[in-house]
Amino acid sequence: MMLARVADSLYWIGRYVERAEHLCRLCDVLLTATLDRTDAASQVARIALAAAGHPDPAKVADPYEAALGMTLDRDNEGSIVCSLASARENARQVRDQVTTEMWERLNLLYLRMTAPRADLAFSDGSASFLNEAIADLHLFKGAADATMSHGEGWSFLLLGVHMERAQLIGRLLEVCYVEAPKSTLTDHFALTSLLRMSCALEPYLRVYTADVQARYLLEFLLLDAEFPRSIRFCTQRIEEHLTTVSRHAEIAPHASPDRLAGRLKARLQYADMAEIEAAGAGAFLTNVLDECAAIHKALYDAFVAYPLELRLPA
Amino acid sequence: LEGTGVELGVAEASSLPEPGLPPVSSVLPYDEMRSQDGAVRPHYAALERRISTLSPAQLAERQRTLERFFLLQGITFTVYGGESATERIIPTDLLPRIIPAHEWDRIEAGLTQRLQALNMFLADIYGEQQILMDGVVPRELVLCAPSYRREMLNLFVPHAAYANVCGSDLIRQPDGAFAVLEDNLRVPSGVSYMLANREAAKRVFPGTFRGANVRAIDRYPDMLLSTLKSMAADWRPNPQVVVLTPGVYNSAYYEHAYLARLMGVPLVEGRDLVVHENMVYMRTTTGLKRVDVIYRRVDDDFIDPLTFRRDSGLGAAGLFNAYRAGNVVICNAPGAGVADDKAVYAYVPQIISYYLGEDPILPNIETFLCREPAQLAHVLANLDKLVVKAVGASGGYGMLVGPHASRAQRDAFATALKADPENYIAQPTIQLSTAPCLVDSTIEPRHVDLRPFVLCGDRITVTPGALTRVALRRGSLVVNSSQGGGSKDTWVLAGDAKALRP
Repeated sequence: MMLARVADSLYWIGRYVERAEHLCRLCDVLLTATLDRTDAASQVARIALAAAGHPDPAKVADPYEAALGMTLDRDNEGSIVCSLASARENARQVRDQVTTEMWERLNLLYLRMTAPRADLAFSDGSASFLNEAIADLHLFKGAADATMSHGEGWSFLLLGVHMERAQLIGRLLEVCYVEAPKSTLTDHFALTSLLRMSCALEPYLRVYTADVQARYLLEFLLLDAEFPRSIRFCTQRIEEHLTTVSRHAEIAPHASPDRLAGRLKARLQYADMAEIEAAGAGAFLTNVLDECAAIHKALYDAFVAYPLELRLPA
Repeated sequence: LEGTGVELGVAEASSLPEPGLPPVSSVLPYDEMRSQDGAVRPHYAALERRISTLSPAQLAERQRTLERFFLLQGITFTVYGGESATERIIPTDLLPRIIPAHEWDRIEAGLTQRLQALNMFLADIYGEQQILMDGVVPRELVLCAPSYRREMLNLFVPHAAYANVCGSDLIRQPDGAFAVLEDNLRVPSGVSYMLANREAAKRVFPGTFRGANVRAIDRYPDMLLSTLKSMAADWRPNPQVVVLTPGVYNSAYYEHAYLARLMGVPLVEGRDLVVHENMVYMRTTTGLKRVDVIYRRVDDDFIDPLTFRRDSGLGAAGLFNAYRAGNVVICNAPGAGVADDKAVYAYVPQIISYYLGEDPILPNIETFLCREPAQLAHVLANLDKLVVKAVGASGGYGMLVGPHASRAQRDAFATALKADPENYIAQPTIQLSTAPCLVDSTIEPRHVDLRPFVLCGDRITVTPGALTRVALRRGSLVVNSSQGGGSKDTWVLAGDAKALRP
């Protein structure tokens, strides 16, 4: 049992933290890739920007400015600093529910990103700046794992993390496999960059060796059972945590979000790669992303913004 | 800490009075660390020895440690304006203020007596009104006070404890005696700074702290919780307590979250509460859950738009009716603020002797009520020596500091006084005591006050610690955080045979 508002805030802390981490990685790949002035490099830059929600082709011309804006622009709601500010603001609103260790990690990172000389630190070494931010976010998740009770609040936090992760990876795959030109999918550099953006390079190599192919990559990021950033893995966690939090709620079965989550999980668990390819990856991805959005909405209806009339004592 | 400050001596003592006028105060303030001949008082000796071994650079380093602790913990208040809202820490001083055991015993006895009498007074004026019948306190003074809530008349309050959490402002007069400057029975704040200052002080002076035998204050949260639980109805065996906050934009939000976290109870906002058939529920993930006790940190006016201010979005509609029906307890009770009204303040000594038959242990500051013609005449004749305050105002507004005002300002105030004498009181300008503070790596005396916290449920408990507020500008007497005030840790020493735990 916890306040609905608190559950909502914990869920969004999870989402914003995950979003910030993903954006850090996109920025990092964007900056390292564009050190080469090749066609493939600008294609990678275009993918990174599109996945981050900036499909503006003009930005590809000046990747440094684009990355700086994505990182530190406080007027841009999609920037890393804004995601962190939102995560911290949510944590502040439920300061009584997050442990001091979690709060200190998040607060420290926020203070560093909003420090008056943060842009200088970024220009001094953007890669180390971004990597430190990622490391700090890992520390936050580690502190949460080690200090927070693994109860309902924890489930809502992780629901946010995995929901966001599934949608971000889904979006990234959509950009690569549906929107980008077909040539991207045969370019080795573009494919390894895609693996870097999803933090999947080393785990992929361990499974498929250095044979980097678009088909395997899609299979890995969609359907791998063990890689924590594959969509299948995310939906497994979403289903688990939803089952935990639904246990005590008095929700009508048809409205329950765990049914939707279970269905999506099963769909990915028993999916057939050949079938997906035959029907086109685009349709499958669109369907998965729609299901994620439906789970998000059902979660809200069941736990946060439920109609009072149904819950009043008789 | 906003709006709860000491409203005396707003002008700085260093600013020059008009020629021909007497200085603010010819007596030297009481120095907490040194007696008049310059010798260090015995209870400060250990700290003094420790400080004298530290170089200015080491002191500055410790000050930075302290500030980093506060910043990291998010113990900040938000300053709006400019390009974006920035967060600042409350200025905190490195050196603790120390109170020896025998002085604390007197404070503790005085505060217990005072809160007991004030709660009896509140029970009386919202019940039989015997004290008004007997003419001890003027009837219209109480009944016409803006903080008097007629809605509270004849309402059952468990243990007749109207004010459950009380933070009184004490000052030390030049002769060394403590006096009460102001009672605070509405939503007194600052207790989280008391606790946080202690955490920080333990880190910067661990050795001195260990040697000093300081009384522990870390039980405040659980004492607060048991006080709140004692207010719940007997037939609710495991009462659900919540802290009601106005929200994250309130300047004391950190404190609300801090107390909720340490008590292990939900921190709710008005929008989390639902009132249905005079029962209060909170919206949880598993449906609605009944609430028994609300420790509210929202002002009276805003707790229920159906009963009090209609434009309030901070409370819950129907909350007061649920309270009337006895299904929920609101702490502190609405209307408790009438007992810390500035005009009622003047009568507290009489209130104490009326109910308890005792002399007050802690004296008041001498107060002139302009409503009494004789006292008004005295105030008008001595406007250049007095501080005049409007009864309803707080935070240093609507007041005149006689010694520092120009003749024109005094004349204007005299006109206002004559037009509406009931709205004003006057007090002599007072000297706050001084304690050593670290200012730019050197140690200098600064003026301080003292805010201890008293809890009252089925019994009265005085926390053996306090918030010491500091006027960080030289000579300033303003300790409000909004006007350059800071705070420091307060060490209450245990006597020889005294238990270490409260």
